[in-house]
Amino acid sequence: MLRILDKLNPQALRILALLLVVVAVLVFFSLVVPNYLNGRLFNRISSSVAIMALLATAQTLVIITRNIDLSIGSTIGFVAFATGSLITNNPDLGPVILVAYAMGLGAMFGAINGALVAFAKVPSIIVTLGTLALFRSALVEYSDSKSISTANLPEWLVSFPNTVLWQWGQMQFRAAFVAAVLVVILVHIALTRLRAARKLYAIGSNPEAAEMAGINTRKTVFVAFVLAGALAGLGGFMFLARFGTITVVAGLGLELKSVAASVVGGVNIFGGSGTVIGALLGAVLVDLIDTSLVRWQLVSEFWREAVLGVLILLSVATDALLMRRLMAARQAREHRKAEAKIAQELASTNRGGAE
Amino acid sequence: MKSTKTLGLLAALMMSGASLANAQTALEGGQEADMVLLPKFLGILVFDQANEGAQEAHAELGNPGELLFVGPTPENSVAGQIEIMTTAATQGQGAVMLSNNAGDQIAPSAVAAQEAGTRVVTWDSPIPGGEGEDVFVAQVDFGSIGTVMADMAHSILGGEGQMAVLSATPDAANQNAWIASMQEALKGDKYANIELVDIVYGDDQAEVSYNRALSLVDQYPDLGVIMSPTTVGIQASAKAMQDEGLCDQVKVSGLGLPSEMVSYTMNGCAPEFALWDFRDLGYLTYYTAYGLATGQLTGDIGESFSAGRMGDFAIEEDPGRPGSKRILMGPFTVYTSENVEAAAQ
Repeated sequence: MLRILDKLNPQALRILALLLVVVAVLVFFSLVVPNYLNGRLFNRISSSVAIMALLATAQTLVIITRNIDLSIGSTIGFVAFATGSLITNNPDLGPVILVAYAMGLGAMFGAINGALVAFAKVPSIIVTLGTLALFRSALVEYSDSKSISTANLPEWLVSFPNTVLWQWGQMQFRAAFVAAVLVVILVHIALTRLRAARKLYAIGSNPEAAEMAGINTRKTVFVAFVLAGALAGLGGFMFLARFGTITVVAGLGLELKSVAASVVGGVNIFGGSGTVIGALLGAVLVDLIDTSLVRWQLVSEFWREAVLGVLILLSVATDALLMRRLMAARQAREHRKAEAKIAQELASTNRGGAE
Repeated sequence: MKSTKTLGLLAALMMSGASLANAQTALEGGQEADMVLLPKFLGILVFDQANEGAQEAHAELGNPGELLFVGPTPENSVAGQIEIMTTAATQGQGAVMLSNNAGDQIAPSAVAAQEAGTRVVTWDSPIPGGEGEDVFVAQVDFGSIGTVMADMAHSILGGEGQMAVLSATPDAANQNAWIASMQEALKGDKYANIELVDIVYGDDQAEVSYNRALSLVDQYPDLGVIMSPTTVGIQASAKAMQDEGLCDQVKVSGLGLPSEMVSYTMNGCAPEFALWDFRDLGYLTYYTAYGLATGQLTGDIGESFSAGRMGDFAIEEDPGRPGSKRILMGPFTVYTSENVEAAAQ
């Protein structure tokens, strides 16, 4: 067992720790909530996490470069509305065009953020705090106080998220969830295998060193924001398909949830490290806690947010503590191994000296 | 207070000697008064409809002044409403028509507006304490909404079963009043076998309401109906039940828009729901506010006036809020598969 732990890299260890926390949360709630663990719970969490997984992935791309995107909730709201409005007025448009429109629009918002952060050198927290309000106001203006209604959307769009691709007992693997997980895996492979994507980590760990190493930091940060915008746009498309009714409040507050999911998922808020698989698990954990709390009789409506906050802090703390323990244990073992090796070598040289 | 009296006196003078106290006031058009229609927030269809009604009345009365439709952004509703109220007072607007989302927190700024000579007419959702409000234009009798909702639950459940409420925000004065009146109605013998198991809040956001509706089903396996007194909540709940194939088990009811609910009513997810006409509400509110702002109405109990195409209305004491005044619009329509398609056109 310990041998296996030694072989894992720190990121894999973190994911393992997160999985343990998810299991702990499941066990805890199954003790206090009757009729809790069943296929239905899986369906609930997987359906609702599909959107958050995309947003957490988008957020992770930006956070890795030592930035943050607070405008993600407004972006998803605007894209969901605009895409809904496009399909309402042109019901014959196909899925490809619609998804491309959503992602293109999101990328455009990302480009605005990216340009201001990368080229105008304004701190991202300030830029995106501004665009958070700006994009939302643009939506209020654009929507002309109308809303998008499910009744005006084509059938394929509305039924897409809940299409069951395959079923295992009560557990259903639905299209939206599977699509989101595929996107996360794709981004994960890109981040770990592609040379260009490694630049994001380089910039996040040490911007000056990255610059010295010949990385075009401005361009890379800009691209990170554009990609995040495109992913948020895809999230907007999924949001439209899932909820159907889009008003100007759509996606309100999702930016903070996406940050929470990323950070809980082990993405370092100071940049340079983190995985999108972790962010996906973080999204699962936050959603799991949120959904389960609603069913926990002990916690009233008004305390839920507070309890959610405490539980997120606890899970992050547990995760950090577990990580530290595991790392310390590993270091101790490596230390002992090294000592033993030195002792051995010393012994052999001594023997050699004696001869 | 003084200015109110002066205005009242002016109004009496203008109507000249022939008219009697408490007689029908026919509002005279063409007088100038700048008006502000202030919804809870922008972007929900019903508020847009109310604005259409107000614009209709504005044109009909030939008011040379301006009618502004301004509201806060949703995430900033409470603070935004207070700010707009304060601004309206400093701009010297004739009247503010407010669908209050700020509870009693808006009262100080509303009082300040009144002192500056701006009349404050609430509609859709009143100021709970009544302070700072000239009169409340009630869409329907708040007590009877409770009975209607209890009756719809009764008919859907066949007289027996569990129901849960999915409301808007915990601060919404109108929803809270309706839920309270429904709880009161449920005490009646007729509803003895109906159990209200929970009240949850979807914040008038589709995604929150959708998830809350599903968790209600998970939490109460025997739940028979979700009652949602908000147009956003009822639609999100119905969609959630439909998406999860739960419509046979859990029905959705409450207050909804026919155009948004028609498919769910026809497929049986939401067999019955109710609503009133928001265009009419905006229209009547405008007439009331215009009468007050131009001094043709004093806003006293017992005063009555005729509001264009909608006929005659009277100012009375609000039975739900002693000491406050209201104008009762009514009635509302219960929609079923029989009449929903026609209404959705």
